[in-house]
Amino acid sequence: MSALRTTQAIVVRDLSRAFRQRGRLFGGLARSFMWLLLVATGFGSIARVEGAASYHAFVFPGIVVMAALFGAMLTAISTVYDREFGMLRLMLASPAGVTAVLAGRAVAASAVGILHGAFVLLAAPLFIPVTASQLAGGVGALVVGAAASSVLGLLVAAPVRSVENFAAVVNVVLFPLLFLSGALYPTSTMPGWLYAAVRLNPVTYAVDLMRGALGQRAEFSIPYSLAALGVAIVVAFAAAAALFDPERRLSRAGPTPR
Amino acid sequence: MSARHAIETIGLGKDYGEVRALDSLDAVVPQGAHVGVLGPNGAGKTTAMLMLATLLRPTRGIARVFEQDVVHDQTAIRRRLGLVFQETSIDGLLTVRENLQFAAGLMGLGRIAGRDAIDQALSRTGLTAHTSRPARQLSGGFRRLTDIARAIVHKPDLLLLDEPTTGLDPEHRDRVWGLIEAERRDRGVTVVFSTHYLAEAEACDFVFMLAHGRLVAADTPAALRATVGEQVVEIDGPDAERAVQTMAASGQVAMSVRTGRGWRIGVGKAHAGLAAIVGSAPCLTHVDVRDATLEDVYFARTQGVSRSRPSPASRGSQS
Repeated sequence: MSALRTTQAIVVRDLSRAFRQRGRLFGGLARSFMWLLLVATGFGSIARVEGAASYHAFVFPGIVVMAALFGAMLTAISTVYDREFGMLRLMLASPAGVTAVLAGRAVAASAVGILHGAFVLLAAPLFIPVTASQLAGGVGALVVGAAASSVLGLLVAAPVRSVENFAAVVNVVLFPLLFLSGALYPTSTMPGWLYAAVRLNPVTYAVDLMRGALGQRAEFSIPYSLAALGVAIVVAFAAAAALFDPERRLSRAGPTPR
Repeated sequence: MSARHAIETIGLGKDYGEVRALDSLDAVVPQGAHVGVLGPNGAGKTTAMLMLATLLRPTRGIARVFEQDVVHDQTAIRRRLGLVFQETSIDGLLTVRENLQFAAGLMGLGRIAGRDAIDQALSRTGLTAHTSRPARQLSGGFRRLTDIARAIVHKPDLLLLDEPTTGLDPEHRDRVWGLIEAERRDRGVTVVFSTHYLAEAEACDFVFMLAHGRLVAADTPAALRATVGEQVVEIDGPDAERAVQTMAASGQVAMSVRTGRGWRIGVGKAHAGLAAIVGSAPCLTHVDVRDATLEDVYFARTQGVSRSRPSPASRGSQS
């Protein structure tokens, strides 16, 4: 019960922060539409994807997942700011321990990711033919994709020591996850070594799940994608919990004695 | 190990790789005591407090808080702890009340219990008029008071305060100490704090003094002051060293230490030959005689202390 209250307190606090940082919130929501309207329109004039009615139709499921990925991961990675300003230490000092703390952060980050993705998903009829049941399936895929993104974000944030590294993390981690997911172009014709990275990338399965949910051809079965995302969530959460252990975090703040 | 002890440590130490942050701390803090931890930057004060707060694992030794082991009984200890870190742990985007709601939730308080506890903490800290203000709009003093309200919201039995008054003006320092004193008086809370304002430690029941990871003094403030003499003569100027030598030769000097602003010489009260000694060294720019303070003890005990190095066998080992 105590751990649940701790988790709940962190969810409420993180969501309060997310909704009060309106510039960041609206910027995140606008990002996906900029990709849809600018990038997809630009590529649409030169790219034809086999089996898709248009490049917009092909890229739409990927952009929904991208919205969730960026929303959830950036919220989770903002843990770096909490470390910098002492809030993380306060959370890790709670009796409930690191698991409850990370669960709270993951739930809040997932909620932000789901909000960002749902905002794009609502615009689906403007870009692709879609039924209500397909949209419902898309919401399901969105929830799982956002959950995976948030936990990956926590794992990414764990070793980052200062906010100065935040932009580098975004460039080095977030964009490769997106580019190697099949969200923007088919991955089946990629060189073998690159395709291996695609198969190891959890976002690949979130995009494929979303593609299937929205009535497009999916490469993997639903159970396979769900299992891959489930494994990614469990492994990333366990690794993040180990890395966020207060002892590890504070010891590595050394060697300066205080 | 007595139940009357809030804290007991035996040979408690911590290494950060090649650096011995805390050598071997033996300490007993009775319940309800008011204890100061003093020492220069890098002395190991924060390291000791973080180990007591269960946020760092000791490299060696034992530490118990309310008879619970800091390594194995973290949850039980954390429930009874109120922590104030060097930097305020307040979220600027949340209001004062929301910060306390967050803290109450972290400590596992339910909605109704949490609401009552928050109202009491706001009332005790005098923040009731500021409950709806975003914390980022508060002055440094009010942010610290909010931080302390956060630390006491769950009614802890032990307050660990790491430099709680650093950067505060005298008025807010006074409010912080008034608040901490009220917690002790009304609820019997044990208070352990570190500070660089040594005057704040004069009212303590007990003082631990650390330097370069070593415990260099541990006693009541009065007993510690007595070790440097009843009075301290401060002198400075070209002839200061000669005056110090003359005084030392008189055999009544309890301590002499050179600081950045001259010499401090601890002597017995009304040192009879003082005028003659000072007269023998005519070129002094500053002479003052006053009662001994903890600051004199601090200079006397912390100068010349070197940090010990971890032995190869102890590196990386954990108790």
